[in-house]
Amino acid sequence: MPDDLSMLDATAQADLVRTGGATPLELVDAAINRIEKVNDELNAVIHPLFEKARATATGATATSDTPFHGVPIVLKDHDGSSAGDPLHHGNKLLKELGHVADEDSYLIAKLRAAGFIPVGKTNTPEFGLMTTTEPEAYGPTRNPWNTNHSTGGSSGGSAAAVASGMVPVGHAGDGGGSIRIPASECGLFGLKPSRGRVSLGPEAGEAWVGLVQRHVITRSVRDSAAVLDALCGPMSGDPYFAPPPARPFLDEVGADPGRLRIGIRTNAPAAMAVTDDECVAAAEDAARLLESLGHHVEIASPPALDETDLVDFFVAVMMTDVVREVEEVGRIAGREVGPDDFEALTWTYYEMGKTYTSIQHLEAIDAAHAWTRRVASWFTPAAGTGGGGQFDLLLTPTLAEPPPEIGDLVGTTEDPLRGMARATVFAAYTAPFNVTGQPAMSVPLYWEASRDLPIGVQLVADHTREDLLLRVAAQLEAARPWADRRAPVHA
Amino acid sequence: MPTHPASDPLAALDATAQADLVRSGAASPLELIDAAITRIEAVDGELNAVVLRRFEQARAEAASDDLPAGPFRGVPFLTKDLACPTAGEPQTDGMGATKAAGWIATETSHLAARFVRAGLVNLGRTNSPELGLVPTTEPVAWGPTHNPWDPALTPGGSSGGSAAAVAAGLVPFAHASDGGGSIRIPASACGLVGLKTSRGRISVGPSRGELSSFLSVQFAVTRSVRDAAALLDVAAGREPGDPVVAPAPSAPYRDLTTHAPDALRVGLMTRAPGDTSPIHPECVTAAERAATLLEGLGHHVEVAHPDAYDDPDRAAMFATLWGVDAAVKVTTWGNLLGRSLTEADVEAATWIMASAGRDVLATTYVDAVSRMQVWARAMADWWEPAPRGDGFDLLLTPTLAEPPVRLGTFTGTADDPFAGILRAGPFTPYTPSFNLTGQPAISLPVHQSAAGLPIGVHVVAAYGHDDLLLAVAAQLEQVAPWADRRPRIHA
Repeated sequence: MPDDLSMLDATAQADLVRTGGATPLELVDAAINRIEKVNDELNAVIHPLFEKARATATGATATSDTPFHGVPIVLKDHDGSSAGDPLHHGNKLLKELGHVADEDSYLIAKLRAAGFIPVGKTNTPEFGLMTTTEPEAYGPTRNPWNTNHSTGGSSGGSAAAVASGMVPVGHAGDGGGSIRIPASECGLFGLKPSRGRVSLGPEAGEAWVGLVQRHVITRSVRDSAAVLDALCGPMSGDPYFAPPPARPFLDEVGADPGRLRIGIRTNAPAAMAVTDDECVAAAEDAARLLESLGHHVEIASPPALDETDLVDFFVAVMMTDVVREVEEVGRIAGREVGPDDFEALTWTYYEMGKTYTSIQHLEAIDAAHAWTRRVASWFTPAAGTGGGGQFDLLLTPTLAEPPPEIGDLVGTTEDPLRGMARATVFAAYTAPFNVTGQPAMSVPLYWEASRDLPIGVQLVADHTREDLLLRVAAQLEAARPWADRRAPVHA
Repeated sequence: MPTHPASDPLAALDATAQADLVRSGAASPLELIDAAITRIEAVDGELNAVVLRRFEQARAEAASDDLPAGPFRGVPFLTKDLACPTAGEPQTDGMGATKAAGWIATETSHLAARFVRAGLVNLGRTNSPELGLVPTTEPVAWGPTHNPWDPALTPGGSSGGSAAAVAAGLVPFAHASDGGGSIRIPASACGLVGLKTSRGRISVGPSRGELSSFLSVQFAVTRSVRDAAALLDVAAGREPGDPVVAPAPSAPYRDLTTHAPDALRVGLMTRAPGDTSPIHPECVTAAERAATLLEGLGHHVEVAHPDAYDDPDRAAMFATLWGVDAAVKVTTWGNLLGRSLTEADVEAATWIMASAGRDVLATTYVDAVSRMQVWARAMADWWEPAPRGDGFDLLLTPTLAEPPVRLGTFTGTADDPFAGILRAGPFTPYTPSFNLTGQPAISLPVHQSAAGLPIGVHVVAAYGHDDLLLAVAAQLEQVAPWADRRPRIHA
């Protein structure tokens, strides 16, 4: 067994098991040791599942034909449930009640079926509402690249666990950027799949009116592709699903993407944020890299991106969801809940959400759908479908600013929306593609020179074109590998 | 060529046959259009099916060299006066307010454009109840459409104008839409083929992403199964930015329809879901007759249905979504007309439904959608292969609980304007559930009552399997042909 499992991606760890170089229990024990070594500093894993993981690994066969047999993983404490494990969504009342989920979400069951062994659950802001991971219930998760800084959110716990080498893969979800933002801030690869690619069942058909997609944050592109192969595919009764890919996503890793026409944009859509020079530099640097690989890059983006800042839409969707989350917590608690049971921002949303009407809600959705068509028509359509767009990909910085300091995005009781206003800046580039349902990814190609903080770049493709994104991601990874970059806090 | 209205042989030809005449040079597009105009002028006085006419434009289009060379070049067509707009043309959605305002549509829908590209020539718009809210076609604005089989009876609704026009031989097929049964109900009442397509099969863009919370789908009523298949090839397909895209068929529908399916497992149900209201013996007989025919074709039929179909909550979910949709439509039309619509602007029942919907909070609405999506999973399991599901391929029921009822049955009184609406539920116990699940369902005219009235049967497949319904429909059409049946009023 190699000394440093922490630097191996999930595919490599699975290969070790397959070839007899390590047992599932050895991989799991090593991951537990790594978590115990650095988690105090990071607060990424909030529910250790060590004994359960050891029992699963002990009971596992030596090998199997599953792609990730015996490989440790962490699960976000939101965006899906795992049977018998705590599920607190970053909420203090659920924490106090010790709430435990009674079933596996389909994607968690599929992760298990792929051979992964969950070793812990990771921190999330309350109900995944923020672009940082600093819930009152569990305290802030710290960035392995600099512990004074945020990991981003809402999948910041999973991102910190992967970036620090605890595990190679962390489960995540993305309703406004929550896979891509922490991937960018922690120097990882984060792909938000197309709407309908990964089932949200059985507990739901869709979340946040279709804005939320689930997947994982990884270090390697091949891991993300192979896990997506394991997670994708419709489940019985899905309200809709993305048309299946022509071939496995893993086959796209190493495949020639051809010469692509790529538009670059380095000013935030609808002037939602002032983009930091380092973030502009990261995107321009990626543009040069893409050109050196034979692609054509020009300054261009869907004009519709400047039509709306989407803030009202997101607030409407989130406050409507929060009312239901708060009521669900009340049902679990079996009592009236009040402002003391939730963070100030959540409770503010709850109060706002209680007056929002269905007509307003549906008018907002109609407007979002119409806007989506204007954005989508910029992209080259998939073969055999309508539309006349000319661009294969859009390139942007993932974020308008480098990773912020801990506390920067947190609201106060007096002004609970202050944090939200700051948080919005960090979703300026990512959130539009939750509305459109397009696949988008953050790729770790650039690190700030002065502070060595990671700055990701985002690439967006037409709906269902994860294949194209993964081809380009693998090309970028080969041209400028990041696998050997090690965060200062590393197990 | 003979076009005498009393004996127009073209009236008996389906669209495929009419297109063949044009293709072979036996008839010109203008001859087909002139014959259809003659038929409409001859018999629509008795039916009141075609409420907005564009005969001169149609003649000019038919005579033009620019008439597209699509599969239905020169075939006469009618469009329901609800949704599916064409820029620059009048449309009322069955409302007195829009009729009085002389509303002219400002955009062309993708579907209308596809019909044009197929070479169809639109002769006008067919009657629809106000906003398509009820299962009959008796808007105050335009008056009732009469059933060609017996003018005292309803043609069903909301696509009753289209169904009456097709049944009477005015055109071979016509556009229709279905939010709770509005394709299947009039197809049953008028003796036609009515396919409600899978959610996301046909785009509702460009300005809309969904209609009626994804309940409503667009398509057509036809006389022949091959017309339905060939028209679906024209109508189906992704447009840029569609929020939901149904999986594409493995081959054109017109080809799939000609292949007999393997032996299918069919569940027969002849009582109402939830057993909440009686089913007329003629309707029971229709479903049983279809079952016998299917067994004769080698399929296996047993008495069975999904347990979830009996869930009383399905009606509550539908009512919530339907009321909200009515409210949104009234509000949206007010916005388009530049003034708030009041009680005086709409029919009494419309106002009651819209008023109920207007008070629904967004969170209540989202909760209903969420319950619907979870319930849809329980429904879908019945169609899933064993052992995961129950392993059925098709559900067979009567389409309606009764033979077509008298006009006025669903009209309220001055004292109780909602009384008519309450009567609609027991008339249509089977159809709305599949608007909630998004599954494809078809009504087929396999039976006639002792009184000679058409009685449809309803066949439901798993999501995305529109092709299977068309293939089974073609089998039934072959063993129990209906092409030669003539209603009392026929051109």
